[in-house]
Parts: sequence; C-alpha cells; structure tokens
Amino acid sequence: MAAAPYRGRRMVAALVLLSGFALILFRLFNLQILQAAELTVKADRQHRKAVSVQGPRGSIYDRHGKVLAINMDVPSVFGVPASLDDPSGVARDLSPVLRVRAGEIEKKLKQERSFVWIARKLDPEQGRRLERMPLEGIGVVMEGQRFYPKGPLLSHVLGFAGMDSQGLEGIERRYDPSLRGEKQMVVLQRDALGRTVFPKGLHEQVPSPGHNVILTIDEVIQYIAEKELEEAVTATRAKGGIVIVMEPRTGAILAMAVNPRFDPNTVQAISADRWRNRALTDTYEPGSTMKIFVAAAALEEKVMEPETLVYGENGRMVVAKTVIHDHDKLGWMTFAQVIQRSSNIGSVKTAMALGAERLYRWLRAFGFGERTEIDLPGEVTGLIKEPRNWERRSLASIAMGQEIGVTALQLVTAVAAIANGGWLMKPYTVSEIRDEKGRVVVQVSPQVRRQPISPETVHTLSKILEGVVTHGTGSKAAVPGYRVAGKTGTAQKIDPKTGAYSSHLSVGSFVGYVPAEDPRLAIVVVIDEPQTEAWGGVVAAPVFRRVAEQALQHLGISSQEPVKLAMTTSSEMARP
Amino acid sequence: MKTFIVIAAMGLLLLYVWERVEIVRVGYQIERLKVKKVALERERDELQVKLSALTSPERIARVATEKLGLAPPQRGQVILVNVKPEAPAHGEPPMPDVKLARNEPVGKVP
Repeated sequence: MAAAPYRGRRMVAALVLLSGFALILFRLFNLQILQAAELTVKADRQHRKAVSVQGPRGSIYDRHGKVLAINMDVPSVFGVPASLDDPSGVARDLSPVLRVRAGEIEKKLKQERSFVWIARKLDPEQGRRLERMPLEGIGVVMEGQRFYPKGPLLSHVLGFAGMDSQGLEGIERRYDPSLRGEKQMVVLQRDALGRTVFPKGLHEQVPSPGHNVILTIDEVIQYIAEKELEEAVTATRAKGGIVIVMEPRTGAILAMAVNPRFDPNTVQAISADRWRNRALTDTYEPGSTMKIFVAAAALEEKVMEPETLVYGENGRMVVAKTVIHDHDKLGWMTFAQVIQRSSNIGSVKTAMALGAERLYRWLRAFGFGERTEIDLPGEVTGLIKEPRNWERRSLASIAMGQEIGVTALQLVTAVAAIANGGWLMKPYTVSEIRDEKGRVVVQVSPQVRRQPISPETVHTLSKILEGVVTHGTGSKAAVPGYRVAGKTGTAQKIDPKTGAYSSHLSVGSFVGYVPAEDPRLAIVVVIDEPQTEAWGGVVAAPVFRRVAEQALQHLGISSQEPVKLAMTTSSEMARP
Repeated sequence: MKTFIVIAAMGLLLLYVWERVEIVRVGYQIERLKVKKVALERERDELQVKLSALTSPERIARVATEKLGLAPPQRGQVILVNVKPEAPAHGEPPMPDVKLARNEPVGKVP
C-alpha cells in the first residue's frame, strides 16, 4: 500500500491546520464575544474625538454695510519640544518667517515641556509660508482673531472683544449675546490615519455663527466728526473733546466721536481710562447751553414771551450774597436777546420767575438726571439735585448751567427734542441684527420717551436759537446756505486741587441743529479744557460748522436759500 | 431556481458592499471639500478685512490729498439744488437733488 507511509504525515498536517484554525477561532471568540464590550469602547475612543467648537463671532457694519469689526482665523505656531532632534536648527529655519530672533525661539524649544507656544496670531501670509516648511515637532493651528479694519475709527462706540472672543466694551459688550457664536461639543470621527471622516449618521453638527449687527452710524460722518474734533483739540491744545451727531426725528446716532482716540486692535497696550466712552460716562457742567431749557420752560409756562423786556442790571447782580456777572454790560433787552447774547442775569431772572420746583420739573422732563437708555454700556444718570436740597444760590446757578451735571449725549438728545417738534427720543446705535444668511432677527424702530414741549413753543424757541447764530454768540456756527439754530456754552471747571471754580480750566461747547426749518442733524460739540481760548463760541462753534457743512453735503441735503450761480449757462436755474 | 437565488443573494451582497464603500468614498470627498471651504472662507474674510481697511475714509482722504493732490471742495464749489420734476422723463425715477460742481480754482470762491 503506497498510501500508508503518508497517512501519518497527512494526519500531522491536518492536525497543524486544525489547531491553527482552532487558535484563530478561539482568538476570534475571545475578541468578538468575550472582550467585545470593552474593545468597542476602546475603538470608539480612538475613532471619535469630542471637541468644543464655537461658531465665529458676528461682524459689525455701519448703516451702509461697511465692515467695522470682523472675525478672521489667523495662524498660531506651537512646538512639541520632546519630538525635536535639533532645536537650534528648527529655530534657525523659523526665525526669518516669524521675524523673531533664533535665540529666542531656541530658548522656548529647549524647555522641559510637552507643548510651547512659539508665536500667536500671526499674519495669514506667515501661516502659508510655515505650511510649506515640513518641520518635525512644529505645528500650526488657526485661532479666531477680532479685527477692526478701520483702526481707531468709532473705537469708543465699538469697544472691543477679548482673547476668548468675549465682548468687553461698547457694542461688543452690549450686544455680546447676539454677536457671540454658538458653543457646541462636536464629536468628530477619525480613521486610522487620524483624518476626519464624514459622520456615519450623515448629519453634521455645526455650531451656528454669531449674528451680524448693523449700526445707525454713518462711517463717513463719523470720520468727519473725528477729523474735525482732532483738529480742534490740537489747535486749542485741549485735553479732549466730544462730538455727537444725531438724527433728531429718530434718535439714531450718526456719529459719536471721543478724543483722544484709541486703536481697538492694540487695546492691551492702552490704559482703561482711554476706552471710556466719555460721551455717556462722564458728566460736565453744561454752562450756557442749559439756557435753552430754561427758555423752553419759561415759554411753555408763559412766564416769558420773546418780546418780554428784561433788565440786564448793567452786567452785575447780587444773588444770595454772591455777584453774578455778564460778559457785557447789558441794559434793557428782550427775552430773545437774553438767550442770543447769553445773558446770565437775564437767565437767572427767568429762572426766578419760574421758581425752583417748576425749573426742576422742566429739566427732568428734558431727560436731565436720568439715563437716555442708549444701547451702549456704562451710561450715567448725570446729576441734578432735588429742590429741597438746593442752596440759596442754586436756582441762579442752575439757570446758568452750574451745579448740574449732564452728559454730552443727554444734551444732544434734549436739543433733538426741540429740533423735532417736541419729542424726546431714545437714542440708539444699532438698527438691525441679522443672522448669517442676512435674515433680519431684530429690527429696531425709533422710540419716543415723551413729549415734554408743545410744537408751538418749539417754533418760537427755534426762532430765538436761530438768532443766536445769525446775530448772537454762536455766529461762528453759521453754515452758509443753511439756517442753523443752537447755543454756545462756556463753563468753568472745578479745580480738583481747590474744590472751587478754576480760573483757567473750562469746557467750551456748542449744541444745535440744521437746517433749522426742517432739522436733519442735531450736533453737540464739547471741547474739554482748551488752552488757547475758553469761549464755546470760539472753540466749539467752528467745529459745529465744519461737521455740519460736510455732513449736509454727504447726505445730499440741499440748501433752501436761493443760489446765485456765476456761470452764464446755468444762470437760468438759479432764478427763484 | 436554486442558482438564481444564489446569484441574486450574491448580487444583493455585492450591492450592499458597494454602497458601504461608496459612502466612505463620498464621505472622504465631503471632508476634502469642507477643508477647501474653510480655506476659501478664510481667504474671503482676509480679503474683506483688506478691502475694509483700504476703503476706510481716513486712508482715502490721505491718498487723495497726499498722492493725488486733490483737495476737499471749497465753499460754493458744490451746490445742491432742489429740483422737483413735474413728471419723470423717459420713465426714469424722479431725481429730487442734482449735484452741480463749479470748476473754479480753489481760493477764488466768494
């Protein structure tokens, strides 16, 4: 039998094969059934990675859709010192790209740590160059960075966001809940090479980005306001200043300039004092601009009429054992002239005729001593004492705009109420909030707070305020071709050293509106501590004129006065 | 009959396997496109920042005055005229304001 000798071999071969299969089966049984639960968990841990992802922060736009704040991903470079063979070589390669000395990078890479930041938030171009350099142990991650492409423009209103994309000041803070992107834990599935795989369930989780905020601010008018304010502050060697431009009919803020400015892109290097939006966080004694509201109260209460005669006491009057002066020795004048020539004595007499209670009630009605409720953080109420706490001189002082603290925003809001026919509006800076697809989420409409004054009184008062500019203290605020109404103000400041009124520290201001017959702009200009001249009519009124002139032109608001054209071909058009 | 069932079963099995493979393949493709989308979005944001910085009024004013030698229009050089047309001509929307610029040299304006 030939088969016999192979029988044994066959048996051996079969045994080997069988035991091999048995081994595999056993292992399979072990892995797939006995250890199944434990291994599934382990595999899941390797395949899935849970990461916290935040949608990008929304952008901020001006009223014409110009970008004022935007988020952008920028590269940051890190090193893993443990996996570096040649730290000094790597440092030499990185140095020219990062524009950091090789020695400094080397020092970081030689640290006994598992992870070090080498440079954070770089230029996108630097990131692209780094990606082309295959460096072991060096990695690039993208981090969201807030950009303010216009630099210092509107910085006090915009505010800024912090490292972790949280709003810290201004619009960024007030509208943080809308701007902030949704934060979500996202489970990513990875393959053996660590690449992300599209999820098995085929539905993706993507955190939604923050909403976009559209402001009422006009970038160009803001620029005009900031430029003119800067020039005036430099020319008068002042400490600072404020310009606010408001649409009287709606209360929408078109520009809010605060000087000195700061660049929100480099906010870490600037002291907190510079960030404050002093247009609404700081109060000052308004001086003669307060006479507008004394006059409004007197006209509405029928205590005075424009033609009522008031005696100016030749520029000197004693009230509560103190002397009140006028800058000119004025005799008899009409009530309209009291305002136009900014007579302290005339205004004090008007306030006396009104009485403390009525004057207080009227000032409160115009919004002094309460927040305007603007949609910006940090607003203060201002300071106006109740009549029972007044001293003997207080009535006279308040009539001249002393012993009362107002913000520039309160002042322009109150003047806007005279400009728009008597409606005290709620000022606002955000007109719309839109989602990432451009759908409107929130639409802000103008809000009336109350109507403190009748249209008839407004009409009379407006005529008087026009006189301030045509033949009074505010002549430098006149805009050729347009009718301007307004009032100058010059207030002494309290010297912090002595606690008394300083002889050299003052605030010059002008507040008004244009065109007087159909007001489109209400503007306040405040120059803080000018060194060359103190008078509001000299330091602030010209700023009003320049801002108004350019803003009217930008908005295409035509002059109501007949225009004389020099060109023969166009002379036909000029005929009224 | 038996053969037909076997072939059909094999076919179904193959279809199932093909489907799974295809899902994975398309999944990778989607991931690649996502990476591309992120890169394009970054580029868009970058360009938007650049555009916004380049069109800032401060820069435009600087370039206009320093590089191009332009000056802001002086008083009287821009006159806004209120024209109320009786009927819109040629079906065009009515234009209430017309801008007129006088070409007078700066400084000679009354």
